Amino acid sequence: MEREEIQTTIINFIETNFEMSDIGLDDDLNAVHGFDSIDAIELLREIETLMKTKLTRDEEEAAMTIRTVRQIVDFIEKAMADRA
Amino acid sequence: MERRVVITGCSAITPIGCCKADILKNLESGTSGVGRIRDDELLVEQLNTSVFGTVDQDVAYDFPRKYRKTMGPVSFAACRVVDDVIEQSGLDRAVLSSGRTGVAFGSSHGSTSVLKKVYQACFNAQSTEMFSLSAADYLKSMVHTTAVNITRMFGITGRVICSPSACTTSSQSIGFGYELIKFGVQDAMICGGSEEYDTTTVAVFDNLLACSTHYNDTPHKTPRPFDAERDGLVVGEGAGAVMLEEFESARKRGAPILGEVIGFSTNNNGGNLIMPDLAGVTQVLEMGLDSAQITADRIDFISAHATATRIGDVIEARAINNVYGNTPWVSGLKSYMGHTIAACGVIETILTLYMMEKGFIVPTLNLDQVDDRCAMIRHTPRLMETNIDYAAVQNFAFGGINTSLILKRFCG
Repeated sequence: MEREEIQTTIINFIETNFEMSDIGLDDDLNAVHGFDSIDAIELLREIETLMKTKLTRDEEEAAMTIRTVRQIVDFIEKAMADRA
Repeated sequence: MERRVVITGCSAITPIGCCKADILKNLESGTSGVGRIRDDELLVEQLNTSVFGTVDQDVAYDFPRKYRKTMGPVSFAACRVVDDVIEQSGLDRAVLSSGRTGVAFGSSHGSTSVLKKVYQACFNAQSTEMFSLSAADYLKSMVHTTAVNITRMFGITGRVICSPSACTTSSQSIGFGYELIKFGVQDAMICGGSEEYDTTTVAVFDNLLACSTHYNDTPHKTPRPFDAERDGLVVGEGAGAVMLEEFESARKRGAPILGEVIGFSTNNNGGNLIMPDLAGVTQVLEMGLDSAQITADRIDFISAHATATRIGDVIEARAINNVYGNTPWVSGLKSYMGHTIAACGVIETILTLYMMEKGFIVPTLNLDQVDDRCAMIRHTPRLMETNIDYAAVQNFAFGGINTSLILKRFCG
């Protein structure tokens, strides 16, 4: 999956399911859009669906420090590369 | 120091209406909110009863997602009625978030529809469904979900009391809220209860042979509290909230004062968890009057628990007679909508406040022939135009818990 496709999928998911809009790639999701830990866990489940694999506990804990969409896309690309 | 406690807002979602005008119209016309139970694709076909007190009206739950995401249906209804009472009372955000305003609210369970989803995931052996449980599912299904979703949505920072005690959930909520204000611990309390549509509750009562089954084809004819032909209770759904406030601050703010809570009692039968107990019920009614510091002859109207079970109504009638004789008018308001379990105490309190304001008392619906064993009290025979200065709202629960709330018409 190309980076641009991942990015579009993630932004669409957040906007559709979390009712957030005008999400910038480097916006702090919590500070700017009210994204919280409940949303983060829900997004992790979506990432697993996207990757068709389950994330490890270490990956999940690392993901909880993510703040921006750009970081989310970086995270997914790395997790996919690790599994390639 | 004991302080006066007044009611400055009330709102209910009930099977006979979701606003004051509809509820009053249906009370006055004697219209039942009991209908056919809705199919749940789980239990309904196995039940003996086919009736339920249903909320058929669309209710607007247009809350922002940041609040909705931790709510199941039970909390949607709770937050809807609480939103209403905050607006009615005029309490501003600063007061709600001052630490002097609290919440006493409950439900029988957390959201039962969300709990079903959790159980389905747990019992699916092949499952990857376990991972489909969202982080919010626990927040929706935990037993104090209504109380804390209220605090979150309205920024309330004071005490939280959650009293999931089945049929006395919301009467205890009001009573405990009343005591916190009366004794100076809090200045305002949002109190009430909510009950989500749930067929597992129906199944429990059905298995205990406590549900009405003879009127499946004529739902509006049941329940029939105190009637010779009653055959059990009808479970219902609904929610209600009242805003309780310390009198002086409410008066200074110019808040609408709908009534006054002047007494509360609660006790336990100390034994059987299912069967009603004459001594326990009699005692709680006496304790309610003691708390209010009035004599029994001052009570004009009793909102009886009156679920229409064969034994429960008889015990309640005897207890009323023991304490009040046959002077006050007695009505069983569940006859209009079924038994809304965790919400019944607050809904019956609100209906009593409405009648107090309008100056009438409605009769028990479907009470065509009083059971001889329930005949020693003064049943309201028809819609009576009469003032209610003092009223008692009584509720009794599985687990042997009993409550009595004493209300007074506000006279300044």
